[in-house]
Amino acid sequence: MAVVALAVPRTHRQKEIRRHALIYLGLTPFLLLAVFPLFWMAVTAIKQEADLYRMDVVPFWFHLPPTWKNFDFLFHRTFYGDWILNTMSISFFVSAITLVTAVPAGYALARLRLPFAENMGIGIFMTYLVPAIILFIPLARVVSTLGLQDEWWSLVVVYPTFTIPFCTWLLMGFFKTVPFEIEEAAMLDGCGQMGALLRVVLPVSIPGVITSVIFSFTLSMQDFLYALAFVSISDQKPVPLGVATELIRGDVYFWGSLMAGALLVGVPVAIVYNLFLDRFISGITGAAIK
Amino acid sequence: MARVSAGGGASPGTSLSVAVRGHARGQSWYQTPTARRYLFGYTLLAPAMLYVGLLVGLPFLFSLYLAMSDASVGSPVASFVGLENFRAALESSTFYVALRNTLVFTIGAGILKGLLGTTLAFLLIQPFKGRKVVRALIVIPFTLPIAVSVLGWKWMFDSQFSVLNWALSRLHLIGGYGSPDWPIWLGQPGLALLSVMFVNVWRGFPFGAIVLMAGMTSVPPEIIEAAKVDGASFMQRFSKVIVPMIAPILFIGSAFDTVFTLSDLSIVYLLTNGGPDGATEILPTLAYNTGIKAGALGRGAAISLFLFPLLLPAIVLLLRTLRRRQL
Repeated sequence: MAVVALAVPRTHRQKEIRRHALIYLGLTPFLLLAVFPLFWMAVTAIKQEADLYRMDVVPFWFHLPPTWKNFDFLFHRTFYGDWILNTMSISFFVSAITLVTAVPAGYALARLRLPFAENMGIGIFMTYLVPAIILFIPLARVVSTLGLQDEWWSLVVVYPTFTIPFCTWLLMGFFKTVPFEIEEAAMLDGCGQMGALLRVVLPVSIPGVITSVIFSFTLSMQDFLYALAFVSISDQKPVPLGVATELIRGDVYFWGSLMAGALLVGVPVAIVYNLFLDRFISGITGAAIK
Repeated sequence: MARVSAGGGASPGTSLSVAVRGHARGQSWYQTPTARRYLFGYTLLAPAMLYVGLLVGLPFLFSLYLAMSDASVGSPVASFVGLENFRAALESSTFYVALRNTLVFTIGAGILKGLLGTTLAFLLIQPFKGRKVVRALIVIPFTLPIAVSVLGWKWMFDSQFSVLNWALSRLHLIGGYGSPDWPIWLGQPGLALLSVMFVNVWRGFPFGAIVLMAGMTSVPPEIIEAAKVDGASFMQRFSKVIVPMIAPILFIGSAFDTVFTLSDLSIVYLLTNGGPDGATEILPTLAYNTGIKAGALGRGAAISLFLFPLLLPAIVLLLRTLRRRQL
């Protein structure tokens, strides 16, 4: 009997170990696929030039000491500083425009029981799906009519076309979860409808507002086409466009600084996006998943 | 129902009595609580509606107009040319190559993303140690800004210093640099199309897996248990219970992915810009090169509008799924 009693937990543990081994084995190719490019970019960014272009040694590690030269080059010999400033300014203004429009819209659609509110909500969200590739040519005309061609301000005008639909939809979901009783209590205490929105509903919806700001930032930084089509002056470009177009001279690619410039902005965006990914997914799947 | 009328009758100065619904004696229609609420609501809605209407709706209509004009970057005055731009596109062989590549690219990459995403979702849905870390690492391709990761791939596909070729060569799967079987990923027509598809798959498979997982975790475990008790096999449970229950989410996920894949220009633009010899030309790059680079706005707009019928099924599917969900 004692033997059996000992044997049961052991086989259970063995089973667990085998199960874990199988899962890890299955996941390894996916992990390699997902992580290796990032690793390779990071190694490239801090390798010395002479270490980069060698085929006789294992390329995954350093054969000459790592260097910050590529970052130095970015900040002193290119407009990288300007690009970061442009990207931050664009994202800031886009977030501001998005909040000013999407917060009231999301609130109205979620809580005021307007006729056709659901359909209008879906309608606004659908515009998120009208792709840039259809809109960029007519918007080029809009941008040049506004006299903004070649300036980063043009992107401030254009990016809300996708951040407003997405964030309105997202905020609609958030506002729906705020209990009606809180709002009623505020209005009984003498707040108007507007007062109830500003003093009661908005403060408890801060997570939703923050999420909207995050997505205004990350979605703005994911764009490439609008920037490519509307901005062509070197010091006006946002980072992704600047890195992709200005660090190449003819056929010569400055791989070290290209990777350095790409990662310096890409990694923070990826980390933030990663943290908010579930919100993004539940946003686009209709906020039906808890 | 009390909630409804209380919320409606709560404007300042109005009686809060629950009985106030619709017209109260001596008030004009616009003074009723409901009318005030509507006015307030539509005022709040107006900025977003206006912005989207002016910068998405109007431009869309404007692109229909542009596509029927000979507008170009140089000449501000355009004249109406009817369907000439569409005819010109349909008569050029580049257009058909781009259309074919777009379809191959979207469908091929879609199938691959589906297969990889499903496999990954089944692995990640299991409880195991380190799951959160693994998940965070695996979604990296989707979270990196697209231009950033494409540059990384461009370097990995380098004609001489490709790290992939280095590894393949060390494994003796290919010869050394300069030998005939040394692949030039972005320089050989067939390989180039495969490479750009591969980067799209690389970026999209985590998204597929995450959407699928979100769907699978939303299926109550009791239902799956009940099916097990009834003697349903794993495949039966998957196809008869799980798939129908998560179908709406699957539709939405694949609709999004299709729209983003069809309309994405950055992968092809940065890796090959349509080359070599048009082998990777897709409708977005053709529209960009015609409309902006060559300045033929009308032609470019016409080409990009050819994407619309391709996008439409995805959009309709999404619309129907979302509306059904609201009911």
